Amino acid sequence: MNIIPLVLYFCAFVGYSLHFARRTPVSARLATTMLAAATLAHTFIIGMRTMQVGQVPVFDPTSAISMFVWLLAVAYLYTEVTTDERAMGVFILPLILALQAIPAFKAMPEVRSSVLQGPLFGIHVSSLLFAYASFALAFVIGITYVLLFKEIKTKHLGVFYARLPSLQVLDQMNQRAIVVGWVFLTIGLVAGFVFALEAHVPAMSIEDPKIFVALVSWVVYSFELFAARRIGWAGRKAAYLSAVGFAIVLLNFTAISYFLTSSHKF
Amino acid sequence: MHLLLVGISHKTAPIDLRERVDFQARGVELALRTLAARKAGGHAGELALLSTCNRAELYMACDDPASAKSELTSFVSTFHDVDAAVIEPHLYDITDLEAARHLFRVAAGLDSLVVGEPQILGQVKEAHSAARQAETAGPLLNRLFHACFAVGKRVRTETNLGSGAVSIGYAAVNLAKKIFGGLEGRNVVVLGAGEMGKLTAQHMKSQGVRQVTIVSRTMAHAARTAEAIGGATAARWEDMDAALSASDIVITATGAATPILTKAHIESVMRPRRGAPLFIIDIAVPRDVEAAAGELEQVFLYNIDDLQASVRENLARRANEVARAEAIVDDELAKFAMWLRARGVIPTVVALRQSFESIRRAEVDRLEFKLSGLPAEIRDDARARVDEITHLLVEKLLLTPTEQLKSLSDPETAAMYAEAITRVFGLDEAEQKTDSRVEPFRVRPRPSGRQR
Repeated sequence: MNIIPLVLYFCAFVGYSLHFARRTPVSARLATTMLAAATLAHTFIIGMRTMQVGQVPVFDPTSAISMFVWLLAVAYLYTEVTTDERAMGVFILPLILALQAIPAFKAMPEVRSSVLQGPLFGIHVSSLLFAYASFALAFVIGITYVLLFKEIKTKHLGVFYARLPSLQVLDQMNQRAIVVGWVFLTIGLVAGFVFALEAHVPAMSIEDPKIFVALVSWVVYSFELFAARRIGWAGRKAAYLSAVGFAIVLLNFTAISYFLTSSHKF
Repeated sequence: MHLLLVGISHKTAPIDLRERVDFQARGVELALRTLAARKAGGHAGELALLSTCNRAELYMACDDPASAKSELTSFVSTFHDVDAAVIEPHLYDITDLEAARHLFRVAAGLDSLVVGEPQILGQVKEAHSAARQAETAGPLLNRLFHACFAVGKRVRTETNLGSGAVSIGYAAVNLAKKIFGGLEGRNVVVLGAGEMGKLTAQHMKSQGVRQVTIVSRTMAHAARTAEAIGGATAARWEDMDAALSASDIVITATGAATPILTKAHIESVMRPRRGAPLFIIDIAVPRDVEAAAGELEQVFLYNIDDLQASVRENLARRANEVARAEAIVDDELAKFAMWLRARGVIPTVVALRQSFESIRRAEVDRLEFKLSGLPAEIRDDARARVDEITHLLVEKLLLTPTEQLKSLSDPETAAMYAEAITRVFGLDEAEQKTDSRVEPFRVRPRPSGRQR
């Protein structure tokens, strides 16, 4: 079922590429419509699975990724509608496609642990997923910032100069996405900690790679927020930091979830 | 009727001659009224005058382009008191569709000195409204100008002919916008109180920056320039560092022989700024800012050559859009030509309709006599029916001929058809009686012999 949004996201990617090349009002409308359609289809599929299992499907890594992709698409659509900037779509959709490929080709388990439920677990997982989606957005905005920065700095005004919003706007968007992500990351981590204490889940300690890496990403983003405000690490350095932060998040979210952690799959 | 254009532009005349025939100084409306009062060359009373610093063009709807042309030439010569022999070699005259094409290209910015410049469309609009104010614009010129506005609008929205800065000042403003978003609330510091710095600062000021500070070695110069810009402040040379730290955009335009701002100097200025970007525009030759300063993080350094390079690139990009803009001109010209052709046969179509209508009316009137014997309620009903049926009949009979006439593409063929129809239906004779025939309240039947 998850193959349908994947195909639609691909169509949206084609739409955004077309818009990036042509920049006409028609291509803009086409791209946004495609993405909205893909997100809608994805919403429907997640909704169906929720009905099927009786809870928002975030209790295994694969459906969590599907949920993450959906959140990312919604968050991106929100930024696009509020800022009317579409040039970033062509950067965000490859990420969406790559991640959506996992739930599209991997079966999801039908059974679930009896431990992993309750409001605290829900807050833990959904906060973290939302935080990760924000960080993904910040990462992509950071990439576009660096591309535009390089064009202006080296005086080769070209593709990105003509299409992207100003450096100031990109920097602001990046910072905003990181603030939102950081707040939800903090909530998610605290909720997870409290949940582990209450549910007496065994082997939940700092030695678990997943918890450790999550804390590392929290430190990175906290530093970025501090650095941007106190020591003037805005702009390009902030963009690089958001790339580092997201690389850690992605590692935690995919590789560690599937291969490394034994105790904390979900 | 013909459309005639007589004009002079940057392509045919040097600046001193263009200045001498500038209509703006004495007012376009006055010129139009003066010309209209001369009743030139059997013209139909339709005149428009497009006057910008790069061109003066008279558009006229007339019956005899040749005599109208000499009339317009003598008007320009007497109005501006310039010898006709001096102007004539620089004048161009174009007629009919080619004149329309010329105006379309002008409105699109294709004929401008800087291709794609945006002001021209506004100037064309002003020319039209001046003609309307002077009451010299008629149906032909109104249609022509509205069509050229459509061309201008389409070129602006469908092509990139007007995109990208093509002057140093605009290039600098565009760059600043790409770095800072808007220029509102930004602080600009100008080093040097010379003309170049003043012009660039004025340009920035017009874009809504918060504050412009002029720094010069001589405080009096700085104060004078600040006053000339209006709303700017002057600062002493010793206070330069404080001004630089608080600024977002720095324009350097001093006459110094060696760089004033070194990399180390700017680095020290950047420290209290906490990573806020600094855009330095060095328009001085020789340069005022050490080139290495551009390596500093968050410093964007552009000199005059960099800006000129970006201007050249934009000009090249515009040149690539010309073909697309020309296609739009062709497209709109075809529409205008169609309207013009349809317009040529309209008198014939109208006359034909009037002739048919008069026949119908006469026959209906004749029927009135026969109907008079019927009871009142039946009579009214019968009259209404007859009226309706005959009306439909005439409409259907005229539908195909009207469409055929309007679709004739070649004006000569159209004229031949119009002539033939006029003869075959005797429209010439009927025309003289048109007024009495279409009178709506006629009840008496007419003698049948007057119809043909």
